[in-house]
Amino acid sequence: MNFALSNDQKMLRDEVRKFAENELAPIAPEIDISGEFPKESIKKLAEMGLLGIVVPEKYGGSEFDFVSLAIAIEEISRACASTGVITAVNNSLTTYPILKFGNEEQKEKYLPDLCSGKKIGAIGITEPNAGSDVAAMETTAVLDEDHYILNGAKRFITNGTEAGIFVVFAYTNKELKHKGITAFIVERDTPGFSLGKHEDLMGIRATGNCELVFEDCKIPKENLLGELGQGFFICMNTLDVSRIDIGAQAVGISQAALDEAVKYSKERVTFGKPICKFGMIQNMLAEMATQIHAARMLVYYAAWCKDAGIKRFSKEAAMAKYYAANISVDVTRKAVQIFGGYGYTKDYPVERFYRDAKILELYEGTSEIQKLVIANELVR
Amino acid sequence: MTELFVLIEHRKGEIRDISFELLTCAKKIAEKENLNVTALLLGSKTDQIIDKIKNYAHKIYLFDDPVFENFNSEIYQKNLSDIIKKESPLLTLIGHTAFGMDLCPALATELNIPFSTDCLNLTFEDKKLKVTRQMFDGKLNTHEILRENPSYIITIRAGSFPAVEGNFNAEIVKLSPKETTEPEYRKFVEYIEAAIGDVDITKSDVVIGIGRGIREQENLEMIEELAASIGGVVGCSRPIVDADWLPKDRQVGSSGKIVKPKLYIAIGISGAFQHVMGMKNSDTIIAINKDPNAPIFNEADYGIVDDLMKVVPILKEKILEMK
Amino acid sequence: MDIIVCIKRVPQTAEAEVSIDSTGKSIQKDRLTFDMNESDTYALEEAVLLKEKFEGNITVLSLGYPDTDDTLRIALAKGADNAIRIKAENFENPDAFQTAQILKSVIKTINFDIILTGCIATDDAYSQIGVTLAELLEIPHAALVIKVDANEQRTHVHRELEEGLIEHLDIKLPALLTILTGINEPRYASLIAIRRAAKKEIQQLGKENIELEDLVINSVIEELYVPPVTKQVEILTGSPSETATKLAGIVKEKGLI
Ligand SMILES: Cc1cc2nc3c(=O)[nH]c(=O)nc-3n(C[C@H](O)[C@H](O)[C@H](O)COP(=O)(O)OP(=O)(O)OC[C@H]3O[C@@H](n4cnc5c(N)ncnc54)[C@H](O)[C@@H]3O)c2cc1C
Ligand SMILES: Cc1cc2nc3c(=O)[nH]c(=O)nc-3n(C[C@H](O)[C@H](O)[C@H](O)COP(=O)(O)OP(=O)(O)OC[C@H]3O[C@@H](n4cnc5c(N)ncnc54)[C@H](O)[C@@H]3O)c2cc1C
Repeated sequence: MNFALSNDQKMLRDEVRKFAENELAPIAPEIDISGEFPKESIKKLAEMGLLGIVVPEKYGGSEFDFVSLAIAIEEISRACASTGVITAVNNSLTTYPILKFGNEEQKEKYLPDLCSGKKIGAIGITEPNAGSDVAAMETTAVLDEDHYILNGAKRFITNGTEAGIFVVFAYTNKELKHKGITAFIVERDTPGFSLGKHEDLMGIRATGNCELVFEDCKIPKENLLGELGQGFFICMNTLDVSRIDIGAQAVGISQAALDEAVKYSKERVTFGKPICKFGMIQNMLAEMATQIHAARMLVYYAAWCKDAGIKRFSKEAAMAKYYAANISVDVTRKAVQIFGGYGYTKDYPVERFYRDAKILELYEGTSEIQKLVIANELVR
Repeated sequence: MTELFVLIEHRKGEIRDISFELLTCAKKIAEKENLNVTALLLGSKTDQIIDKIKNYAHKIYLFDDPVFENFNSEIYQKNLSDIIKKESPLLTLIGHTAFGMDLCPALATELNIPFSTDCLNLTFEDKKLKVTRQMFDGKLNTHEILRENPSYIITIRAGSFPAVEGNFNAEIVKLSPKETTEPEYRKFVEYIEAAIGDVDITKSDVVIGIGRGIREQENLEMIEELAASIGGVVGCSRPIVDADWLPKDRQVGSSGKIVKPKLYIAIGISGAFQHVMGMKNSDTIIAINKDPNAPIFNEADYGIVDDLMKVVPILKEKILEMK
Repeated sequence: MDIIVCIKRVPQTAEAEVSIDSTGKSIQKDRLTFDMNESDTYALEEAVLLKEKFEGNITVLSLGYPDTDDTLRIALAKGADNAIRIKAENFENPDAFQTAQILKSVIKTINFDIILTGCIATDDAYSQIGVTLAELLEIPHAALVIKVDANEQRTHVHRELEEGLIEHLDIKLPALLTILTGINEPRYASLIAIRRAAKKEIQQLGKENIELEDLVINSVIEELYVPPVTKQVEILTGSPSETATKLAGIVKEKGLI
């Protein structure tokens, strides 16, 4: 057994941390307020090779492993949760399914642009009437000679306003239930594809979240990703990977909250002592640190499963995502508590961390859905 | 009598303040150790400079040649090593300046003389030379003992010895330089003056100095607003110029501008001596820094230990209210 | 053009609490983060820019403890070709002068056209190593360089003097330049470069691998101490709104608004 990071993982962590502290953290409060998508930061992420972390070099990627991907997302999220999820979506929800299920032409056509930041990636699963219940989706794709005609709408799409390449799921055969869902690669400038409502979010506010609308949207047949009817499988397989990164995002946000809480607890004096001397504050700090450590181990372990070639790690990924999200909300809440009234103001970043953390229990499968996955594996 | 040499620094025909500070330091040590203060002046058309320093030294060694008009460490080194070798002064003092940093280590190494740089003070204890220096971003001082030797070379930080005019009347001894041709391996080409910008920070009654603590270029706006509320201008520390957030003519410090406003507010500036040299003579100094141990608080009259992002916007509002 | 860059791994103390350790001669290091000395990052970037223009080889060299390998590896990822660590653990607390002598002994065995160093290390703040090293190697030098414009034989450099004045020099190669911050914009290492660098060997030189002359020590640290307070500052306390109000009051009292 070996818990040590390899040389390249350690270097990646140190360099990404430095980059994130210098380039991302300073603008995080600002884009939280404005909701403005951090385009300049994304360019810098691309230069460092952070947009295609696990993609092979021949497609323009950095060719690192999934543990490294998790470490990078953790460090980015520690500085800026919005940028963290933007990066995670580009890496594990767009480039990954194309890399894993795409054919050679698709990989050559799309991956270099996704890795270089020339085009940003997004994924469209959720719909107004289909969230947790993916198979309830209503979007359809009908073959018309050499094109598929897409109709429907996708809701809550991260990176939606900025993305150039979308992985979109639609029914090609409703009768086959979830076996009738197919994945497609849709480019932004496809006729019949438009953007709908831009969401005003509680946290991760700078992520370009919006609705995608398809009205007789005509996509070339060769943009079918994987096989006809393989969509649901692709979706679940992709989520297994991306949930690890949401776990990593949770660890990053939590770590940022703990760092701030420790610092503040040493500075704030009440009853003649810094509050870090009080047992009840120490209790919270100790719990937070332990929760974060446990979450980080679950995340790294799930990523390691993927790297080790273990076929089925849905449970491990779900556990990592569920637990990390859960403690992240708790840790950030405690951070606000330690800050007292000041924590509830925008003078300090912990209220932002608290808002940012809440999404972790919702997207890429709510906590209930994660538990469903875990329990299903147990009672299978 | 044993000699104490002081290297006179001048530029474009003007003597530089550090020279008087070195001579003041020299006088203090000379009195205690019973030494003879000799100013080393390598220059050309030096009458004015001689006039200014002759009360500060027992003797002036003058090397007069057009080649000495501009500083060139190689040619200075050749002539200085020759005279130091010949006379073996107990101590040679050089300024810890752009000039001294370029010269001292090479000169001392050539002569195999123990040396130290950027010293704030020095004393002889049992024949051993003990120097005071600063380390770790000015957060700690050190005492260091130099290897025992008949001769030492030390560079002194500017501002460490406020100049006090002496009552000597220096004997002027003209020496013929050993080397007067500029080596072809290091040739002086020209001086380039700093560009002149739209704002002259040396002319304002209030200067708001900002440092790396502002983290981000966008936060400049908030500082500009604060400056506007008081009717001041914005200056900065070197990293802000390095990052291209403000032009060079806004830099306060040894390699920037020296300012003496009625009020200097240092915001997110640690207080490195190179910065402090540019603002310490301001009438009132206020520092805002989140690090209670930042050296800037040693220079300030008033301080706030807090996050500047929180204090500055409120400060602006309060000032506008009180106006 | 072959370039050597001398690098030091230093504690980041500008924003950290610095306390003296039990020996009284050093600081407590366990809670500090360490990184490449600031001006060295600019020296390295300048080397990479020169290499991009002229081709050639960059060697990064550091006298340091084993964790210095991390810093050297990042230098490899940022564009250096070879890295050498001289084992500091083989020497007893070398001072700046000794360090320069040790570096010289190693550099003697390497081909180079230019040596770049930072102009100051932020920990001990001597500003000595570069210029001393040049003298030991008997090559020309320029300290505090903020512009390098080289050809194969010579280089024009700008040195920054006080008050923003610039001294323009023309120097023959091989030469040593000490680099000032702001000369360029140091890059981050890309992930691909990190992956390649992680696999590279860092040459480890012990005392037994170096042909050393008798090392001369110039100075030893007798003690570290907290600087005496020279000017009594009045710290305003309270919430940001309270301190800001007090401060505004002082500004008004002084008749400045
Ligand atoms: C900021 C943000 C970004 C997002 N980004 C994307 C994106 O990029 N791409 C994308 O496709 N989607 C995205 N989503 C959508 C997100 O994945 C869904 O919101 C999520 O899957 C939940 O679906 P829903 O909102 O429809 O909730 P519902 O499915 O309606 O769930 C409502 C509640 O019922 C619970 N519940 C549902 N079914 C069960 C069950 N079987 N057992 C127990 N409890 C159950 C849920 O846990 C939840 O508490 C994003 C959402 C947000 C808010
Ligand atoms: C030859 C030479 C010449 C030089 N000339 C000059 C010169 O002319 N002028 C000059 O300025 N420097 C000069 N320097 C550089 C000098 O040594 C220092 O590196 C520089 O002054 C440091 O700038 P700083 O204080 O802005 O940054 P740092 O030393 O990094 O300090 C930043 C400070 O900001 C504080 N801070 C951070 N965040 C916050 C926050 N949110 N709220 C409040 N406080 C915060 C930190 O506690 C810290 O004290 C020179 C250096 C050399 C070698």
